[in-house]
Amino acid sequence: MEQSKKHTQWNSIIFALVHGATYLPAVWLLKHYVFGQFVSVIIAIVPIITFSIFIFKLIKAFSVLDEVKQRVQLEAVVIGFSLTAMLMMILFLLSLRNISNAGWFGYGDLVCYCWIFYFVGWFISKKKYGI
Amino acid sequence: MKNTIKVERAKKNWTQEDLAGKIGISRQSVNAIETGKFIPSTVLALKMAKVFGTNVESIFQLEKQD
Repeated sequence: MEQSKKHTQWNSIIFALVHGATYLPAVWLLKHYVFGQFVSVIIAIVPIITFSIFIFKLIKAFSVLDEVKQRVQLEAVVIGFSLTAMLMMILFLLSLRNISNAGWFGYGDLVCYCWIFYFVGWFISKKKYGI
Repeated sequence: MKNTIKVERAKKNWTQEDLAGKIGISRQSVNAIETGKFIPSTVLALKMAKVFGTNVESIFQLEKQD
C-alpha cells in the first residue's frame, strides 16, 4: 500500500519532468526557427499533451495523500488560482488604458507566475498546518 | 475543538510516528491534528479512537466557542 502511494507520487514527478522536457524545447524551437503553420501547431500541442498527462497523474497523487496534505494542496491551488486571477484582472484593467509591459507579462510569463503563485500558496498552507 | 491525543499517546508510549503508521497518515499530519491546527474527518477520528481502544468523544471535545 505504502509502496503503491510512493509509486503514484513518483509518477507525477516523472511526468512533471517529461512535461518540462517537452515544453522548454518547444519554446526554444518556436522562438528560434520558422516552421509552417501545421508543424508549429504540432510542436505547440506536444507539451500540452504531456501537461495533461502530468495533471492526470498529479490528481491521482493527490488522491493517495492523507487528508491534511490534501487540504494543503487544496488551499495551495485556491491561493494560486486567486493570485493568478487577480494578476489577470489587473493586467486587463491596465490594458484598457494601454498601461502594460509585454516584456514582463506575456503569455509565457503568466504561466511562470501561475506556478509561482501555486508554490506561494503551498508555502502559506504548509506553514498554517505546520507540516 | 480540543483533543487528548498527546495524553492517549503517552498512555501507550507511542511516538507521533507510531500513531501515524497505525492510522495510515504522515507524522506531520498527526502533529497538525494533535496541535489543533487541523480537525480530522469522522473516519480518521474513528480510526484514532479504535487504535487507542477508546471512543471518539474521549479524544475530541468541543470547546465553548465551537
